[in-house]
Amino acid sequence: MYAAGLPSETLAALPPQPRARGVGRINVCEDGGATRLVDLYQQGSSKILVPRGEAPGLNAVLLNTAGGITGGDRFAWSAAAGEGARLTLSTQAAERAYRAQPGETGEIKTTLSIGDGARVDWLPQETILYDGAALSRRLTVEMAPDAALLAVEPVIFGREAMGEEVTRASLTDQWRIYRDGRLVHAEALRLAGPVRDILAGPGTLCGGRAMATVIYIAPDAEDRLGPVRAIVGDGAAASAWEGKLAVRIAAPDGAALRKALIPVLMDLRGGVLPRVWTM
Amino acid sequence: MTTRTAMPTIMPIRRTAPADRLATPADLTSGPGLRGVTGADDLKALSLLAAWFSPAYPVGSFAYSHGLEAAVAKGCVDDAGSLRTWLANVLEHGAGWNDAVLMAAAFHAPGDAEIADLARSLAGSAERLLETEKLGRAFAEVTTAAYGQPVDPAPFPVAAGRAVALHGLPLLPALALYLQTFASNLVTAGVKLVPLGQTDGQRVLAQLLPICETLSAKAAKAGLDAIGGAAIRAEIDAMQHETQPVRLYRT
Repeated sequence: MYAAGLPSETLAALPPQPRARGVGRINVCEDGGATRLVDLYQQGSSKILVPRGEAPGLNAVLLNTAGGITGGDRFAWSAAAGEGARLTLSTQAAERAYRAQPGETGEIKTTLSIGDGARVDWLPQETILYDGAALSRRLTVEMAPDAALLAVEPVIFGREAMGEEVTRASLTDQWRIYRDGRLVHAEALRLAGPVRDILAGPGTLCGGRAMATVIYIAPDAEDRLGPVRAIVGDGAAASAWEGKLAVRIAAPDGAALRKALIPVLMDLRGGVLPRVWTM
Repeated sequence: MTTRTAMPTIMPIRRTAPADRLATPADLTSGPGLRGVTGADDLKALSLLAAWFSPAYPVGSFAYSHGLEAAVAKGCVDDAGSLRTWLANVLEHGAGWNDAVLMAAAFHAPGDAEIADLARSLAGSAERLLETEKLGRAFAEVTTAAYGQPVDPAPFPVAAGRAVALHGLPLLPALALYLQTFASNLVTAGVKLVPLGQTDGQRVLAQLLPICETLSAKAAKAGLDAIGGAAIRAEIDAMQHETQPVRLYRT
């Protein structure tokens, strides 16, 4: 189905792309009021850095050493925070999804497990889509009833300032969040084919090139709606229901997206962002 | 696969997707009256579907604008053309497509509670959940009371898919009529809010009907893996509606 979006006559002559594989896993636990590393595993093009001295809890920075994603690449990340632990995951740089060959889709699967009273913040930096990219992403979260999750996925459909024009691409980003074993939230971004035309509509992105969805699920999620509403700008809005807070942002470009997104993330994290976000 | 010969009365749908490619085992087994049926049975099925998925069916759909009221207030929708595009976006990349996929899944597995969980979980804001749950509850109650077979309350597309299966009705025209009445209700809201003339509203609807047909044919064949869209602004509109000072609609 993704291949339908790609002009095969221009791509058929390309040599096969090298495939990147990466598996990364990090497990943390609470130990005397601090969060401690229990297990760290990295294989292939996945690396995990744990910078010292970043509060709160333990911060981990994910790194794709292949330098981007193309069709056929496979990445699998997993993280677990035991009872009372606090883990923040981010990425060292924006992820670039490059042009894929027909019928090939890059895949990133992320699994988070959050124990009682624990909190995981999933804060990757932007994914930048290039023309002809084909990316499929899946985020699965299993959380305890009183656990907390903050998750964001910012996406940029080509950087106008860099002369990048995304005419056709395919992107699916599926989130499934289970609390106490039951599905409590799902996000389903799905775009295939003429994305520039699709995103021109007043109901899609009004010709904008950047978007982000922020989901905060926590015992205090609904109490945070007032403060978050007060800081979201014109192209964004927030809503809270059933122990969840959602913020959706549509922006003309990546810079405007950051300007709208960072205050929201700061607010939901007590004023502190991972250092990679501000470098 | 056995060719289903029913439904000669829905030519516009067959034009985009022949019924023989769409018939599934569940289609055939859930509708015992549909194999080799007479024209009278076809007509009975279509009459029932037309009644259920009519804007006049008392589920209160006139009270929901799906965020359109906010899109008009912001000036994003301000004439027939922008109304048509906004609605086309919502149908193709928003709740229209997702609802059709959920309805088809509920039709094939009416007892599967996880489809209802997915429908609730996909609601992107407080008012989106309110809309699909209130409509679904009202639909289940009215249909149970008036047509006998008990339909469990669930988000609207799930309750609708279950009812269609329980009554042995065909999926494809049910999907087309569900989407058509969704579009029709929002056109009515748009005519009132923009405002537009009634005839302009019908011109907009006329342009949306082929989209409803195409989506129905695709959704009838799709599984839950096909869920998803990109109606990002429409989702933001629905959220902004929550804080809109003057509101005629509940969403």
